[in-house]
Amino acid sequence: MQIEDDEILQGFIEESLEHLADIENDLLAIEEAGENIDEDLVNKVFRAAHSIKGGAGFMGLTAIQELSHAAENVLGMIRSKKLVPTPEIVNILLLAADQLQRMIEDVQNSNETDISSFIEPLNTIAEGRQAKPAVERATPAAPVPPPHVPEPLHAEQFPAEPADVLPEEREFAEEEKYDFSEDDADLDAESESEAEISSEGLHVGSLKSSALSVKESSKTTQSKGETSIRVHVSLLDSLMNLAGELVLSRNQLLQTIASEDFRNAETVGQRIDLITSELQEAIMLTRMQPIGNVFNKFPRVVRDLSKKLKKTIDLTIVGKDVELDKTIIEAINDPLTHLVRNSVDHGIEPPEERKRIGKSETGMVILKAYHEAGQVVIEISDDGKGIDGDALAASAVRKGLLTVEQTQVMSEKEKINLIFLPGFSMAKQVTDVSGRGVGMDVVKTNLDQLGGHVDIISEVGRGTTISIKLPLTLAIIPCQIIMTGGERYAIPQVNLEELLRIPASQVKQRIERVGNAEVVRLRGNLLPLIRLADVLGIERTYWDANEQALKPDRREQISDRRGKHSPYFNSGATSAEGKQGESQDQQPRSVLDRRYASSSALNIVVVSTGAMKYGLIVDRLQDSEEIVIKPLGRHLQQCKGYAGATIMGDGRIALILDVSNIARMANLTSLDGTDRASEVALSAEEAIRAKKDKQALLIFRSSETEHFAVPLNQVERIEKIHRQDIEELGGKRVMQYRGGSLSLISVDDVAMVHPLADHDNLLVIVFNIASHSVGLLAIGPIDALEIGVEIDDVTLKQNGIMGSVIIDKHTTMLVNIYEMVNTLFPDWFAGKDVFGADQSDSGEAPTILIAEDSNFFRNQVKGYMMEAGYNVLEGEDGRVAWDVLQQNKDSISMLVTDIEMPNMNGFELTQTIRADSRFANLPIIALTTLAGEEDVARGKAVGIDEYHIKLDKERLMAAVHNYMKKLH
Amino acid sequence: MKESTRTADTNIIELATFYVGDALCGMDILKIQEINKLTQMTKVPQAPDYVMGILNLRGQIVTIIDLSKKLGLGETDIGQDPRNIIVNSSGGHVGLLVRRISDVVEADMNRKERPPANMGGIQGEYFTGVYKTDAHLIGLLDIDKVLSFDD
Repeated sequence: MQIEDDEILQGFIEESLEHLADIENDLLAIEEAGENIDEDLVNKVFRAAHSIKGGAGFMGLTAIQELSHAAENVLGMIRSKKLVPTPEIVNILLLAADQLQRMIEDVQNSNETDISSFIEPLNTIAEGRQAKPAVERATPAAPVPPPHVPEPLHAEQFPAEPADVLPEEREFAEEEKYDFSEDDADLDAESESEAEISSEGLHVGSLKSSALSVKESSKTTQSKGETSIRVHVSLLDSLMNLAGELVLSRNQLLQTIASEDFRNAETVGQRIDLITSELQEAIMLTRMQPIGNVFNKFPRVVRDLSKKLKKTIDLTIVGKDVELDKTIIEAINDPLTHLVRNSVDHGIEPPEERKRIGKSETGMVILKAYHEAGQVVIEISDDGKGIDGDALAASAVRKGLLTVEQTQVMSEKEKINLIFLPGFSMAKQVTDVSGRGVGMDVVKTNLDQLGGHVDIISEVGRGTTISIKLPLTLAIIPCQIIMTGGERYAIPQVNLEELLRIPASQVKQRIERVGNAEVVRLRGNLLPLIRLADVLGIERTYWDANEQALKPDRREQISDRRGKHSPYFNSGATSAEGKQGESQDQQPRSVLDRRYASSSALNIVVVSTGAMKYGLIVDRLQDSEEIVIKPLGRHLQQCKGYAGATIMGDGRIALILDVSNIARMANLTSLDGTDRASEVALSAEEAIRAKKDKQALLIFRSSETEHFAVPLNQVERIEKIHRQDIEELGGKRVMQYRGGSLSLISVDDVAMVHPLADHDNLLVIVFNIASHSVGLLAIGPIDALEIGVEIDDVTLKQNGIMGSVIIDKHTTMLVNIYEMVNTLFPDWFAGKDVFGADQSDSGEAPTILIAEDSNFFRNQVKGYMMEAGYNVLEGEDGRVAWDVLQQNKDSISMLVTDIEMPNMNGFELTQTIRADSRFANLPIIALTTLAGEEDVARGKAVGIDEYHIKLDKERLMAAVHNYMKKLH
Repeated sequence: MKESTRTADTNIIELATFYVGDALCGMDILKIQEINKLTQMTKVPQAPDYVMGILNLRGQIVTIIDLSKKLGLGETDIGQDPRNIIVNSSGGHVGLLVRRISDVVEADMNRKERPPANMGGIQGEYFTGVYKTDAHLIGLLDIDKVLSFDD
């Protein structure tokens, strides 16, 4: 077929496609209205069909012309009210419109397309209506060729549903149907499978293919007639205007440079800056398209699907006018379709069920788009059954993705988010509508690619809202610039989780090896490490910050400290790759220098893509920049590691890394769900650990070199004083404080540490011990930190020091203020030696058993108790405590226990105690850092009387006193 | 190359000639967008070996191909101030790195000869023929084939 004028043809195609896009929704509206024909609407559709017919006739596209003519005829009859638009008729019209669209998209071959199967039903409708009696008589013999395509679909989909047609019409339709299905069964099957492909195939297949949509759309413009775009003339005018301005400014700049008038250069620079940003904005606008382009197809999708599933669903669309970048519009099509179909298929219950649970039979699906904080939010909500987080969790356990313990610590939201785990299908059973392995994880990955963010809010029985946040445009993306092997690379900020720098001195401890794999422990999770240089197959290098030079890195392993050619290291077995480029320069390297040099620090970019997370080791980290993506030429298409390139400020090019492909190139095996699951598990464990060991400390110094810490909760307040405020009286240091005298002590009074520094400005940390205030002299800087304490209670332990902990690279001594006070002012305790606040009648101090595995906490609690005048027995885990309890069964009147302990935890200990009748009435107080509701419930169940937060001294003591009073 | 036909019988085109290694090659000058010096280039790890890198040509990313390597004539010595022939092919801009640019020669394509039979292998693939001038024998490059992307 010869088509002479490309431009006119292109115009025709665009116009026709626009018409067709409208036709679909209008037809649906016509169907809805039924007999109350909206003439304007019918007219509109009629005119659309008419103009397609006209255009096609002019272009010599006979097939398109014929089909649109046939459709026009039927529409004409509806317009003149000779025909009632029943769902069947609308169905046929819709199918015809679909076919028209297909042919127009492939204009060149349209004339060869066989359209008889579409034209005949249309003609039958047109003729059948005009010569109704004839058809009625004729049907048994079936002289008229039966309508082929729509009927089998009809028969398949709603055999039981009485067609809402005029009596004659129904008879006609039904007889035709039977006729047909007997005669032509294979066509039936064929047309069904075709319908299947057009809906499902597109859906499933294209979702996969758009996984790389960012990359592809930037490399090649997708087909489907989207090679051109309609732009408002006013926008073009403003572009033109800006371009003119830019030229003027360029001239100014050239002049300024020629005249070397540098003061003016600044003004010109500003001007160009302004114009380019305006120009950029205007050009962005040309790429903006209303989201309605995507939304408009959903009424049809929902209609077809709900009929198929025999559900009644109202689709409400809000915010069609919201504009998004063309690329994004194209790329969200598939994820959105998936989500809408999910809502219809899984979300909305069947009408009977809805009725049963008191909902309206008609389900609601709302599709909404709106702007929020510079982003576009798309919401898909339904009033269906919602997502049951527990069911998901149970399913995850069944599939072996998670363990029961892991799911127990998950919040409802985390459970719902399990739906994004790969290999997780919401459907209980695989239906042909969804559950074909294209899960929500693909949706999430696709949206991640777009820099989007998905969030699910769901309430069982009430419905689900999925909200997607998308950036307005993709053309400019923020990126982290990194450097490896002397070249710069950009990593899209969307993939960036965090930047990690491991100082040279810690590399050895922090980088661990599992077999051949190098990992780093990041907040409890094992993070696989990939060396960018290795993935790209370039020489390993490192950046020497001292010499400002790039040097080849000879370390075989990151944690290696020896040069391979050191006499201690036999290089015979090293890999060939490692040997490259090493033969020449063998001058002995100063091993010591390197070990502690900052250049040896490791820069790790923690990236994530979909469900995967890993660390990329790079030479240097640079700035974060907004970059413009440029496609790579086709010769470089085979390099999967790049998503494109960008031009940096200095005119050179930086490649943009494709984080997910890099993982693939590095054969990162953690592509499946189990890894994420283990991550969840780890974070759960970590949460438990954190719960247990987090402790707030006040850091201070007493001398210049030594760092000390005290538990923050013991500190009453901190005062700044001058040295001359201190009075030395009677061999003791005091100061006036709140109308009284405050005893002052310093760490060196008790412990063997350096004496208090001779500063003029001092700090006094005020404690309240045994109802006395005491001030600890210290010097700054002070800091309050919350850390996971791992207390070494051996190395530095001495009188007044309970142990040490490493904080911020400093070994910090933990001051035992009780011990200090006890040593310096033994009479404070002596005065109330025997009893605390509550003197018991028996005249003997009650004994309290403390079970706690951490010395630190045990000492603290012990301190509280001793201060209150109780006797204290200790057990460093449940089992020891149990033994102690048995040995001193008569004297112990209370147990204070930790929950998390080795050998026997607090729950088990309580259970054991409660099982023994001798201790049935022993008060048991459990201590946790943070009492979780589940823990409390469990504790109550096994017989714990009360829960207290470890460091909440007052409440704990109040509770202890309370129980003691009751006992005596 | 058919569209470069000017008249039916003489069929004269202008050939831009250049040295790839020691071989004098020619291509239709109308296919060349521009010729420039090799500016700062960015290496692309993992790229095919004949791709030297990419560079920024006024905002366009241009892939630089070492023509000599592509033709199997060994690597072009960057130190010798080679030139880039920028060709606008269907898959974007491509730069062909050549050792030296030579003259523009008017050539009657009717006098084009078939590539000699002993010019086999990679080279044979990329030449459509040879053209004899008074002084030299010019190998006519099939530029579409050179730029075609082989996996």
